[in-house]
Amino acid sequence: MRKLMSFVLTAFFALGLSNLSQASDLKTGRQNDDPKKVENFSLPDINGKTHSLSEYSGSKAIVLMFISTECPVSNAYNDRMVQLTKDYKDKGITFIGINSNKAESVADIKQHAADHKFDFTILKDDKNIIADKLDASVTPEVYVLNGSLDLLYHGRIDDSRRVNEVKTNDLRSALDEILGGKKVTNPKTKAFGCTIKRVD
Amino acid sequence: MIRIIPVILILTFLITREITPQISVQTADEQQISKIISERGGKFLLLNFWATWCAPCREEFPDLQKLHESYLEKGLEVIGLSVDYPDETESKIKPFLKKAGSTFPVFVQDVNNDEKLINMIDPEWNGAVPLTVIYDANGNKLEIIEGKKSYSEFEKILSKHLPLAE
Repeated sequence: MRKLMSFVLTAFFALGLSNLSQASDLKTGRQNDDPKKVENFSLPDINGKTHSLSEYSGSKAIVLMFISTECPVSNAYNDRMVQLTKDYKDKGITFIGINSNKAESVADIKQHAADHKFDFTILKDDKNIIADKLDASVTPEVYVLNGSLDLLYHGRIDDSRRVNEVKTNDLRSALDEILGGKKVTNPKTKAFGCTIKRVD
Repeated sequence: MIRIIPVILILTFLITREITPQISVQTADEQQISKIISERGGKFLLLNFWATWCAPCREEFPDLQKLHESYLEKGLEVIGLSVDYPDETESKIKPFLKKAGSTFPVFVQDVNNDEKLINMIDPEWNGAVPLTVIYDANGNKLEIIEGKKSYSEFEKILSKHLPLAE
């Protein structure tokens, strides 16, 4: 009987402690898991033309790239984004830039795109509605979807802000696997970047 | 008169050196970062992740300095951890710290893998800086604060945990 009591008490305290540790888990306020599917959305591009994700249902993959005109990390990737577009657009992959920063105007984005010879559509996410929907927080940050808008990859373009120190080309690897009909081996990656400046 | 000039120059150098403290930025690998968090010497920790390329991080520095000045004696240590590259210490970090006039300890990460460091601090963190984490005197995480915060916003958060705050 004493043994049973001791077992019950131990189990009770163990359960209590585990609940306490769960209760004290801290949250950053963001979703822990990525959504499996992205809801269709429409946004105007920098020339005022509205685009919907559903327009690209025939693509083998849609690469959404949250970018910035001012963020030095995003800017370190300008040439890499141009090269990626060049290398993959003829393979049925659509590249779309999204600018959700409140302080970056359409005129600034247009000038920046021209300066860096961006050959992809850039959408202006006024009031960061799409950044909020996808829980995008940094620039650059990419989301890769298939034509049915299932999320296949989320994270960084590669693992170094310095192009000559890149060890893993995470986005390229994901795209190659998608084109090869394979499951993306590493569907989520992270890197330091500039916070997306949202509206208050 | 000419003989006095070198003396004046030496004296000026010595006085300036005395007034301007030497800025020290040590590198911190995973082990050292764990040590900074866990070996608290009885003090709480406000650990701020920042970078010289991050505008809101730079804007936050005067408030961090103010926190350092007013809270050190109340049992809170403010430490900055730069996510710049270690080889940018002399060219970027130190010049910024000098300009900002900050005197709290600053380290530069030497983990050499963004994702490893991000997940080590918090698996839910996406890597956006600035990020501030508050730890108690035993190295337990109390708060994760995303984005730039003002002195009063930090004070409000600290008052929940530090008995002597406010």
